[in-house]
Amino acid sequence: MADATVQGSHLSKSFGQRSVIDDLSFEVAPGEVIGLLGKNGAGKTTLLELMLGFTPPTSGTVNVFGHPSQRLPGAVKSRVGFVPQQDELLDQLTVADQLRVIESFYSHWDGELIERLCREWNVNTAARIKDLSVGERQKLSILLAFGQRPHLLVLDEPVASLDPLARRQFLEQLVEISADGERAVIFSSHIVSDIERLANRIWILKNGRLDWQGDLDSLKDSIVRLHIRGAAEAVAGVEVPGAISLRREAGFATAVVRDWNPEVLQSFQGAHAVNVEVESLGLEEIFLELHR
Amino acid sequence: MFVLKPQSGIPIYRQLLEQVRRMVASGQLAPGTELPSVRELAIQHAVNPMTVSKAYSLLEAEGLLERNRGRPMTVANRPKNAAQLSRRLQQVRPLLEQTVLAAKQLELSEADLLKAIREIWEE
Repeated sequence: MADATVQGSHLSKSFGQRSVIDDLSFEVAPGEVIGLLGKNGAGKTTLLELMLGFTPPTSGTVNVFGHPSQRLPGAVKSRVGFVPQQDELLDQLTVADQLRVIESFYSHWDGELIERLCREWNVNTAARIKDLSVGERQKLSILLAFGQRPHLLVLDEPVASLDPLARRQFLEQLVEISADGERAVIFSSHIVSDIERLANRIWILKNGRLDWQGDLDSLKDSIVRLHIRGAAEAVAGVEVPGAISLRREAGFATAVVRDWNPEVLQSFQGAHAVNVEVESLGLEEIFLELHR
Repeated sequence: MFVLKPQSGIPIYRQLLEQVRRMVASGQLAPGTELPSVRELAIQHAVNPMTVSKAYSLLEAEGLLERNRGRPMTVANRPKNAAQLSRRLQQVRPLLEQTVLAAKQLELSEADLLKAIREIWEE
């Protein structure tokens, strides 16, 4: 598809014998906000670095705006913004100098936006970077990526050190950025509640593979917890298709299922002579259930 | 105007759908009322704009909202009719089903339950 912002095809990456990314295929379209979730060491940072062309794939391909990420023309690179996990700020500069340095790389820098955000986010532009707190450094890294109004914004754990107020301001700005439907955002974070607000699609990376890739809405519809009640022998005999966990007590069972289809509820209750209550789960619980 | 809980297991667009439906059915949102724009609502709640526009599009398809060129969406003008009653009842049905199920599990009688509902109604 010519319109894809990022497209991966059978992408794999190994370091020596260790496979970190294993045969991933995916597509990111303009307007999408992808929430990338995974345990520590699941391969999130490596996946983002492959997309940005910082490291070559062992096999497979990844294209950004139709170009192999290893060989992005300058015009394409200038449409990509990145907030790394470890900032790359220059300690000896002041905030204002650092902003000017980055601004000089871009012909389409939005100085007005950055001026407004510095004000709203309480960024002291006269301060030396070496004197900034971790949170302040993070704010500045985010501003540096926002200033060029990127069409692809890649954020690797951007908010781990921000306080709740700063995080909310950051999220609001991210909504503004994605509201025109022309930009794509890929956002990795352990703060699941932020992903739950912002993302319309979720990627759950587990052992280098995409264990789930789809709409957040369908994720919430398809992974649910069933509370099953009935006579002891009825419950003991219940088989739950698609269960990723099942716990039984006398007359009571709890199951978490993947690929839940509400239409089977009636027939399931009838077939097993049990009552079933369906509990929908928040993203954090879904994530935990998928990692049990 | 709306209460959105992103951490709920109910997808955000569906929370919005149900609230607009309920408010239109009850008349809290009168025909012609303007709704906040997708952008406003998304920023106000810090949620994905596509999830808001998905809810609006579905509500438009249901005939509850009207899209106006260059202006905010508005609550559609619809004649009040009997269909509205069944529609409103339809919305409380899942809650009723849950209540009846719980009552049966607790071995309450139909009369006990109806009496309790009447008491709550009259509170």
